[in-house]
Amino acid sequence: MWNKREEEPIRSPAATPAAAAPTATGERREPAVIGASISIVGDVTGGEDLTILGKVEGKIDLPQHSVTIGQGGRVKADIFAKAVSVAGEVHGNLVASEQIVIRKTATMLGNLSAPRVGLEDGCCFRGSVEMETPAPKGRTAPAPGAPVAGGATPASPGAAAPKPEPAARP
Amino acid sequence: MGWFSGSRAPAEAARPPGLHSQALKALLGGLRPGSRHAVLDLGPPLAANVQFLSALSCRVRIADLHRSLCAESIESRRPEAVGALLERLLPLAPGERFDALLAWDVFDYMRPDQVSALVTRLAPACGPETPVLVLASTEREIPATPLRYRILDPENLTCEGPREPRRASPRHTQPDLVRMMPGFSVRRSVRLRRGLQEYLFIRGAGDEPARAGVAGASRGLSPRVPWFRRGPL
Repeated sequence: MWNKREEEPIRSPAATPAAAAPTATGERREPAVIGASISIVGDVTGGEDLTILGKVEGKIDLPQHSVTIGQGGRVKADIFAKAVSVAGEVHGNLVASEQIVIRKTATMLGNLSAPRVGLEDGCCFRGSVEMETPAPKGRTAPAPGAPVAGGATPASPGAAAPKPEPAARP
Repeated sequence: MGWFSGSRAPAEAARPPGLHSQALKALLGGLRPGSRHAVLDLGPPLAANVQFLSALSCRVRIADLHRSLCAESIESRRPEAVGALLERLLPLAPGERFDALLAWDVFDYMRPDQVSALVTRLAPACGPETPVLVLASTEREIPATPLRYRILDPENLTCEGPREPRRASPRHTQPDLVRMMPGFSVRRSVRLRRGLQEYLFIRGAGDEPARAGVAGASRGLSPRVPWFRRGPL
């Protein structure tokens, strides 16, 4: 009773999570968060929304969910998602089936492809913008409840990361 | 923030007065309706411009060249390193082609050798008759950073951004620009308000005007401002 506050789940104070997304069973769930001190090298897949405040290198594939790169988050990866919001730093190509938002605090080097794109004036962006509904190419949606960071391995100094596509391509 | 969708046509609501640009009109008029186009914008990212061009079935590539150059070290901006620098800042995929280039006033903020290297690099990615829109200040001073030119409609622009502090203007003349842009010739040149001269350059076509321009440029670049005062710091 007196320690009620201690029973509350711990949340990162720097998190800027996306709105909770409904799961397959209809319940709303908070997005998974890769915290500011976490580094991941490898592919990230899953069945829930994701907020990245740390570092990710590789590929992020969440075709049914939203990916938010918070301020301070650093990503070197191609991202496939339903919606992507960038407030941190991204080197890679973004493909979204619904929308992409580049915030004014963002540094974005890569190509954007989505039916809707939002660019805040003042953002740092180098790359191309393509307004086409992306067609899934051989990718299947992961099973609901699949691990958020499936296949990911902790970053190590000698770890070889998959090389993202160059920032500019036709 | 600007939201846009590729399926929408440009809004035709009442617009505030801006710069009337015949060059922009000609550039956009050259984009055939119904087919996909690639447009290279050397200026900063502006949602309104991407929105407008996307509605014309354009894939828009943003280079934000001034900011990119300023973020580089002084060493990498030396004249002998400009080729490698541009290769890094503006990588071109094999076979990449552009149907139109929007340079805005970016050339006013680059050294002549940087402009020449840039144009030489971009020329192979431009087909015959590819248009390039260039704005050059005729005033003695220009804002320290490039203004942002927002497309209002096919023939009107507004320019935005801080006007202070200011720096010396290179005051590029037409022969200066022709000399800095090998392989391109002037198709149209119009004086705009606010001390701006707009040019529509065309890739390759019009050898006669190009030759005339080069001949005119043989007297060298405008001596009013030393070359080292023209480019980024």
